[in-house]
Amino acid sequence: MLKRSIHRISLVAATIISGAATVTHADEVTVGVLVPLTGELGEFGEIVANAVELGVAQVNAAGGTSCGMLRTVVADTGGNPELGIREATKMIEAEGAVALLGPTSGVMVALVDMAKRTETVVISPYAGTITLNELGGDFVYRTVSSDLGDGAASGLWLTERGYRTVAFLVQNEESTISPAQVARTKLENAGIELTDYVIYNPGQPSYQAELISVLANEPDAIYLAGGQESGVTVIKEATAGGFEGEWLFTADLAVPEIFDAAGAELLNGRAYVEFADADNSLPEYKAFESLHMDATGGEPGPFSANSFDMVNLVALSLESSGECSGTGINQTIRDVADGGEAVSSFAEGKAALAEGKDINYEGASGPLSFDESGTVSGSYSIQAAQEGQWVNVRFYPASAFE
Amino acid sequence: MNFEALLVAVLTFGCLFSVLTLSLNLQYARGGMINFGTVAYFAVGAYAYAIVTQEPPSGLDQYLIGLNGPWWLGFLVAGAGAAGFAILTGWPTLRLRGEYLALTTFAFAEVLHSFLLNERGIGNGSVGLANVERPGISWADVPDSYVFAAAALLLMLATIIVYRRILASPYGRAMDAVRDDEMAAEAVGKDVARMRFEVFVISAVPIGFAGALYAMITTLVSPDLFTAEVTFFVWIALVLGGERTMLGAVLGTIVLVTFQEVVRGIPFETVRSAQIAASVEHMLTGAIFVIILRWQIFERISIARSQPA
Repeated sequence: MLKRSIHRISLVAATIISGAATVTHADEVTVGVLVPLTGELGEFGEIVANAVELGVAQVNAAGGTSCGMLRTVVADTGGNPELGIREATKMIEAEGAVALLGPTSGVMVALVDMAKRTETVVISPYAGTITLNELGGDFVYRTVSSDLGDGAASGLWLTERGYRTVAFLVQNEESTISPAQVARTKLENAGIELTDYVIYNPGQPSYQAELISVLANEPDAIYLAGGQESGVTVIKEATAGGFEGEWLFTADLAVPEIFDAAGAELLNGRAYVEFADADNSLPEYKAFESLHMDATGGEPGPFSANSFDMVNLVALSLESSGECSGTGINQTIRDVADGGEAVSSFAEGKAALAEGKDINYEGASGPLSFDESGTVSGSYSIQAAQEGQWVNVRFYPASAFE
Repeated sequence: MNFEALLVAVLTFGCLFSVLTLSLNLQYARGGMINFGTVAYFAVGAYAYAIVTQEPPSGLDQYLIGLNGPWWLGFLVAGAGAAGFAILTGWPTLRLRGEYLALTTFAFAEVLHSFLLNERGIGNGSVGLANVERPGISWADVPDSYVFAAAALLLMLATIIVYRRILASPYGRAMDAVRDDEMAAEAVGKDVARMRFEVFVISAVPIGFAGALYAMITTLVSPDLFTAEVTFFVWIALVLGGERTMLGAVLGTIVLVTFQEVVRGIPFETVRSAQIAASVEHMLTGAIFVIILRWQIFERISIARSQPA
């Protein structure tokens, strides 16, 4: 009996192992895609991973880098830092990844130490966390601006709308608290009354307790910095509790799924969302948009352009340094992103590098030049809920915050 | 899949979590105490290590204390901290029995989790403490991961030796007597309440050490890492391995970790396959549990190999 059970287990194990992907070939260079595919940020992870795949396909279609074709390995972190560290270790040690793309804020912070220790470049298209303002810059980069910018943009919008009273509902997570603090300061400076500043813990079946005082003060607007799961419950409960004002959400809720989950009728005409966004008027963005439409049949999602840029930066850095390692990328990524002949695709950059020129990659998400902490300055969009979808109403270019 | 990397990961996390399972085994199978708050002692160890070794706060940090001490001090304080927390929680709760004790220990763990999450002065709240110091031990060209795997193995072996000694001594026999019949044990002069308390505190120490080692390996402590999931993981490992033998506790944990690592060790080259794998993992885990529990594989192996120690 025991023998038979062991036999069965080994059969299961054999089935699993036989599903394993191919071993890296010498003419390939591996890039890890470390994103949340499950959990609260699952929808963003999917957008990012798909944009990375699109970028990799473009690079490989242009003949790949001098280190070989790009190969991706994809893993789900569920947004959990421990899983992120374990998956990252495997990608680096077992798969030989030279760069890891796509971690969320919490995972990104957890990976800083490992990135430097293992000399692997880690790039995120959406980790705005202000912790990276101090830790980033060496092996750790992002193609999105810091959360401080998000907070500033939210503050600007809330002031512009002319609200007299605003309540803050902020999920107890770093990625939501840090922009909220900046937005709060902006409001206080503008003389807008802050009726409540509530930090709540996600994962609760109900947020009635948090909403009691918020609703009692009848604010003109609620600034809700929360994840998708908690956000939907808060929206429903606040409406049921008689809230008639307007909403401003942060990037986590900038997905179309929110209309199904919360109910479009609760949002239409009174909800707005703020997120870091590419400058849609740039020719580089338009090129990316049409590429995306051709490849997937849909418009790019939030952070799609930022994700696409990560791949191009990595590929161009590999091409430029000629050294097929994380150290090589780390040494050249700043040069590739700034200074030299402007290029907007990997193919263009590769050609320019072949001619011995310096290049300046102008990304789909913006001009991309890294500051000391490996962060780019960004632009932001405000979208309004209209007839069950998000529609652009305001764009703040990077210059709006100077 | 790289088998060397897989082996190192299994050894590291398997041995590390085995320490928790062994301690739970001592508390439950030998001491008769149902502890559903194992994760709390683990978290206390990890946080104690981080606070002792962390540099004083600067810039955006919200934590208040960072002693910048050496790693060995952090490690010792982690064990002491876990014992301290066991004293604090054991004193009021150990008079409870069975499911009442289970509920109270679970509640204590949740309270600690909530405390770490909301009291930002301890460990930056939900952000946690990143870049926790690693001991600067390097033996020639041996990679860090091997050193930590060896450390986890050593910690597990040390735990086994200490527990074996305790259980083989007259004290261990007294423990068995208490578990089998409290009243009879009391009648022959054993202080039941005190024994239960002592076992509870002693078994928390290795969990604290394991917490410190875990903090060194992940270089991160945050409330996210210390949820009730850890407790359930350890309980599942204990149930899989079969209670009452140390070998069973270790085997159960290692199999559970191996399974996780094998599933996650498969490199997926497309987004779709990674998404499917994330969902299938849970189904497969359930199926394998059913198989193992139906035939009680590990319990048979451990009982065949060793008499219940």
